[in-house]
Amino acid sequence: MAEVVLTDVVKTYGTVIAVDNVSLTVEDGEFVTLVGPSGCGKTTTLNLIAGLLDITSGTIAIGGRVINDLDPKDRDIAMVFQNYALYPHKSVYENLAFPLKMRGEKKDEIERKVRAAADSLGIKELLDRRPRELSGGQQQRVALGRAVVRNPQVFLMDEPLSNLDAKLRVQTRAEIKRLHRDLNATVVYVTHDQLEAMTMSDRVAVMGGGTVHQYGTPLEVFDTPADLFVASFIGSPAMNILRGTLQQDGAASVRVGSSRWPLPQRLSTAAKAMNAGPDVAYGVRHRDLSVSRTEMPDSVHGIVYAVEPTGDITFVHARVGSDAIVASVEPDVDLAPDEDVWLAPNLDRIHIFDGVTGLAIRDKITSPGQAPRASFASEAMAFEDLPVAPEVPSVTGRE
Amino acid sequence: MAVATKLQGTTADASHEDLVARTRRRRRIESILIDKVLAYGFLIVMSIFALFPFAWMFSTSIKTPQEAFVIPPRWIPHHITFSAYRVFWDTHAANNNNIARYFLNSTIVSIGTMILSVLIAVPAAYAFARFIFPGKNPFFYIILGRNMFPLVVFLVPLFQLMATLKLQNNYFGLVLAYLTFSLPLAIWLLKGFFDNIPVELEKAARIDGCTRFGAFLRVILPLTTPGIVATAIYSFIGAWNEYIFATTLTSDPKLRTLPVGQAFFLNENSSQWAELMAVSLVISIPVVAFFLLLQRYFIRALTEGAVKG
Repeated sequence: MAEVVLTDVVKTYGTVIAVDNVSLTVEDGEFVTLVGPSGCGKTTTLNLIAGLLDITSGTIAIGGRVINDLDPKDRDIAMVFQNYALYPHKSVYENLAFPLKMRGEKKDEIERKVRAAADSLGIKELLDRRPRELSGGQQQRVALGRAVVRNPQVFLMDEPLSNLDAKLRVQTRAEIKRLHRDLNATVVYVTHDQLEAMTMSDRVAVMGGGTVHQYGTPLEVFDTPADLFVASFIGSPAMNILRGTLQQDGAASVRVGSSRWPLPQRLSTAAKAMNAGPDVAYGVRHRDLSVSRTEMPDSVHGIVYAVEPTGDITFVHARVGSDAIVASVEPDVDLAPDEDVWLAPNLDRIHIFDGVTGLAIRDKITSPGQAPRASFASEAMAFEDLPVAPEVPSVTGRE
Repeated sequence: MAVATKLQGTTADASHEDLVARTRRRRRIESILIDKVLAYGFLIVMSIFALFPFAWMFSTSIKTPQEAFVIPPRWIPHHITFSAYRVFWDTHAANNNNIARYFLNSTIVSIGTMILSVLIAVPAAYAFARFIFPGKNPFFYIILGRNMFPLVVFLVPLFQLMATLKLQNNYFGLVLAYLTFSLPLAIWLLKGFFDNIPVELEKAARIDGCTRFGAFLRVILPLTTPGIVATAIYSFIGAWNEYIFATTLTSDPKLRTLPVGQAFFLNENSSQWAELMAVSLVISIPVVAFFLLLQRYFIRALTEGAVKG
């Protein structure tokens, strides 16, 4: 196993920049996911690591060795593809044996390794079959087996789960994670599915427009998004983003249309320190909005647009002025469309972003990531407050 | 009492269910039968359509010149004679045409065309399917555009070209001329087969230890074999049946191909229908044999082209 280091990697096609100055270090034994919308350069980056595309500039090193000009076959990597790319004219056994055969290993050694890999993936009964006789899940295992059998330095995986049905995907996700642990392998994984990225990775690189917007642990990118792109990409449903202007007269707030969204003083100060604003984007996740039928301190008035029960949580879509907001409540809370509600953001977990650059405005001391996440108990309390909200001075009255 | 009624009820129900089940089974068998009758009926009609010319060729080839013109035509002639088949070894009977030699000429030229077409078209089609290079699309359209023009258009320029290159009355000259129509088709067909093979297979092969060329040999080529075989057959048949180029570019009787030689049975002095039909029948044998031998490749090529696996 080895670490993978990308330094200022650029890939252009004519005038189109597919990968723009990407620098990334994948530690030895780390599981790193490149995640982003389609066309963000994640698959191109993976193909550059694999050597299937030529690098325009920059360097890629595996295990301390710069491999820019090496053929894919000499990079000691294995790759799992979205469509599995099993050789249709070869049996499962021959598919698994192929990489070993190409490296000139001895026949009995090949046999031993193939059987061992097939055993560990539970596909030893399938060795005589052709790929087209297998189910999607079985093909996926064979593809994994072909990667594992050689014990390469780095595993590259290009959306390996996206052709599986939902149930199998969850199961295989866990299996790949386990495989990574058992092999202590270095894995670079590409997906557009943020759930895969969050659940499987040690670190996540959120990519967009050919650049890495943020590189950190799943919780870091979730709790402290570096910019608007990351904030709106990570999390489902997406973070509520409201474009408005920073108000610093009296109590800090962000004015969006006719509503005033409350802002903790620390963020207002940070914005001033960073010379940001007055155009800002105000971000708050659905979980960080308390919903009440009566007015609460620091709350904003909205009208219920639609209610979506999912079983363990109920999403409330509300309109605040012309903006659509998603909040969530416990499933037993009974709200109806067109009802008046008040939405109160958890002031510890608010994000604001510069309206021009999109960069997060953060105070160094208590960035949202370090703030305590709302526990289940406190969330539950907020919802229990619903029927009998305390008498509080109205938000608008403070103006 | 109540129990009795219940029992009665159940037996009645049972027999009714039985009846329903039997009716359903019968209907299903009937519908399968109807499907079969329709399918086979259609196949029989198509077979007659396809086999009629062969039957007629054979029938005429064993007739005397007089009986060839009898109206109404007879499928089975009153006087059966195989004398027309003498043309294959008796040049005198064949109007001084050396049919055996023509057969050899046709074979050499057709196989030459087939081999060169495949050898050139495989790398060309692969390049069009996989690589990005300047002028790729215009170049491909030019190749495809060849098919928009009838062969006659190329006749005079090709004649002059061959005359300049001293390639008249030459097997290679004829093969070159045939490549003008077999190559564009072959490149276009093969590109389709290469397009249908996922790029990832090559990527996987290259990561598993192949060079680019190794990946082509070990993975792509085995998968496109049906397509290559189908393309080869097309090229062979195209050359085998060709008449205009052959008659224009060869004046030496020793270099005539079968379609050219065959035409000499109909001339201002005589119409040797039986001989013409005998030769026609023999001309079609290699084509039919090719199809029978390689039809499994051919069918696989056609279905694999249509349905993505």
